[in-house]
Amino acid sequence: MLSISRCAAQISRLRALRQLYCSFVSEKSPEAKGRTLLREWLTPAQRRQFAEQGFFDVVGGATRMRYRVQYGSVANVHEIDFEGKSGGILCFAPEGHLVPGDVMLARKIALEADELAALAVATRVAPIVSGSIRSL
Amino acid sequence: MTKGSDVPAIQARSMVIQIVMDHTGHSRHEFDADDIEAVDEAEIRFRELTNDGYIAAVRTAEGEALRVFAFDPTAKETLFVRRL
Repeated sequence: MLSISRCAAQISRLRALRQLYCSFVSEKSPEAKGRTLLREWLTPAQRRQFAEQGFFDVVGGATRMRYRVQYGSVANVHEIDFEGKSGGILCFAPEGHLVPGDVMLARKIALEADELAALAVATRVAPIVSGSIRSL
Repeated sequence: MTKGSDVPAIQARSMVIQIVMDHTGHSRHEFDADDIEAVDEAEIRFRELTNDGYIAAVRTAEGEALRVFAFDPTAKETLFVRRL
């Protein structure tokens, strides 16, 4: 009887250790670090929008145009026109291999701090219609 | 505690941070803005990274990003992003 309860206690301890290890690994992973840094650098309104909707809007520093940055690394910046409708998709990314949170933050910084340079290097594609992306 | 003060020494220091985006998520370099040697090191890091093509940015009070072209030892947080 005693050995069964000892065994149960050991299993419970191992489970707790595993949980602790998993949470440590997930908090220290590059992806988690990228998400944390992104949240730190968003404005309060962007942070709220990102938490609730999974994307955030950025106002271009030069033209005051609005852009919507979606989660992910590829083709995830949408131009938003003055009526709030989604326009073309912009493709641009920082050099090197970066996690999605860092790529999103780099895009926010580029659009807010150096919008014209970002637009100069961006490839513009039409919105997805019936599953296809058309180059403009 | 700092001698003659109720403020703990660690709080009296003006710590600033440089954050560099990399494949690990990012690396943080924290230093004391009152430490001349540490400030020199940070200035060298700033110059090396920007010469290497990194974009340096700080945050405005509203949270918007602002590109900076010169090292400012009083900037609480400077982020270095790879060029597009």
